[in-house]
Amino acid sequence: MAAIEVKSVVTGSVWKIVASVGQNLAPGDEIMILESMKMEIPVIVDDGGVLKEIKVAEGVAVSEGQVLAVIEE
Amino acid sequence: MSANPQKPGTDPKATEEPGSVPKGWSPELEELARRRAQSQALGGAEAVERHHSQGRLTIRERIAGLVDAGSFQEVGRLTGQGRYENGKLAGFTPAPYVMGLANIDGRPVAVGGEDFTIRGGTSWSGDRKKGGQGGFVEDLAHEYRIPLVNLIDGSGGSVTSITRRGHSVFPGVHGFEQSVRLMGEVPVVCAVLGTAAGGPAGRAILSHWSVMVQGTSQVFAAGPPVVERSLGQKVTKEELGGPAIAVDVAGTIDQVAKDERECFALIRRYLSFMPRNVWELPPRATTGDRVDRCEDKLKDIVPRNRRKPYDMRRIIESIADQDSVFELQPSYGKALITCLARMNGHVVGFVANNPMVYGGAMDVRAARKQTHFVELCDCFHIPLVFLVDVPGFMVGKDAEAAATLREGMRSVYVALQATVPMYTVVIRKCYGMAGMGTTDKNGLDFKIAWPSAEWGSLPIEGGVAAAFRREIAAAPDPKAKEAEIEAQLRAHASPFRTAEAFGVEEIIDPRETRPYLCRFIDAAAGRLATTVGPKPKYGVRP
Repeated sequence: MAAIEVKSVVTGSVWKIVASVGQNLAPGDEIMILESMKMEIPVIVDDGGVLKEIKVAEGVAVSEGQVLAVIEE
Repeated sequence: MSANPQKPGTDPKATEEPGSVPKGWSPELEELARRRAQSQALGGAEAVERHHSQGRLTIRERIAGLVDAGSFQEVGRLTGQGRYENGKLAGFTPAPYVMGLANIDGRPVAVGGEDFTIRGGTSWSGDRKKGGQGGFVEDLAHEYRIPLVNLIDGSGGSVTSITRRGHSVFPGVHGFEQSVRLMGEVPVVCAVLGTAAGGPAGRAILSHWSVMVQGTSQVFAAGPPVVERSLGQKVTKEELGGPAIAVDVAGTIDQVAKDERECFALIRRYLSFMPRNVWELPPRATTGDRVDRCEDKLKDIVPRNRRKPYDMRRIIESIADQDSVFELQPSYGKALITCLARMNGHVVGFVANNPMVYGGAMDVRAARKQTHFVELCDCFHIPLVFLVDVPGFMVGKDAEAAATLREGMRSVYVALQATVPMYTVVIRKCYGMAGMGTTDKNGLDFKIAWPSAEWGSLPIEGGVAAAFRREIAAAPDPKAKEAEIEAQLRAHASPFRTAEAFGVEEIIDPRETRPYLCRFIDAAAGRLATTVGPKPKYGVRP
């Protein structure tokens, strides 16, 4: 059971959170959608797992490299 | 060529009466065999075992793992430090550098690397250096115009040399001048296979492509003891120069391999795209992929909603010859994707903006990545295909502080100096100065576009607020006014209107991209052959 931190690849803001804690995620599933440079940037899971924690709320600013969520494999 | 043409001691003429002068050269040939055997032993069984226990291969295992089986012809096997008793050789320490000529995919390369099992691979100099910084291996690559592969695992100079020499050495006595010359002549690949600081770290950067290994290699100007003494910062080697910094954040090294075996496979892959030198064209291969392959998935891959990104890598893979795509710097400057690949067997370089990261805007890292890649492809006569979706340079306080404008203009400057054929394919956005840097201004200036394309000096939504500020502010409903002006302008922005004016040479169905490009890349191959050779550079980069 390894915890994996999902980090933001961009600086921007959290537009919409689409997954919820406890949810089983498959590779390619979206956790949330960020807004950066007028684009909707999906935050996608590389490896599947259970969504343990969401560390940000809708509307908040995020910076590149910031941990957005934690997944347990 | 075998290492021992005849097994020593089997020559019948070698039997001599004790005390008599030998008639033949058997004693010398026996000594030669003994000396060769000693150099094979590197730093001795114990040092080799210690090296292996850290998950690292010896320099001889590395070379054997990299090059075509049995192709390594070593040079300088007898170089080292002999110890003599009564005028007879009593012991021998090889020079901590192993190098020579080898083949990769049947083509010759100069290859060398430090032997860490002997004094940590510190520099060694006799009458002539073997390699490391200058030396025979670099001369071999230069004189024979063949690629150079540096397998770096040494700690460079040591302050202890001051007592041995009796004086301190001026920087650059064994300098980088040959390394610099090679950058315009032959492909240079560096692998960092241990902790590289100082000279060896600098040498790793003087390459066209570099790779390091997860867990066993780090690279920095100076290591943790120097950092602590200079700045009072306590850091580990990994924190200072492991791949998480050197590859992902700094882009100092281009790629990380999960182990040494993968590292050698990556080197072979990279070199498969490269000519032996700038006087030749890259090797064409038969990939068996049909030129007229039109992928249906390209038709609707770009969403109509302009705020929604898409997977640019899928576009590259659909257009290029199957399984030919080799991405460079995949974890650095992610707003841009650079790949070596093949189109109908010809080597090409893809430069593609990545809408998933900053909407494809060119930030400082993307700009550096593009500058290097365009220069690389120009140097080795590799045509460039730009898949364009760039809203412009990255904006914001951080971007300005990072000198995005200067690095961005540098990448535009380098693109405008390049003379290799370029093909501009506008997938979606092509705006501003960053957009300008994707065109073949020294050549045919050939621009094709998908129906989803849009262009201009800046995106309409950003420009309206600035250009119509007073009008918008004076309106009873400013938001509605802004939207109204945007809609008016957008009506003129259809790519078909620009095509009417021949401002873009062609608009194509996305599915036709591969056959269309292949046709023109084939046609330009003859011209490429007439312009091989070094590319002199004029002027001062901004």
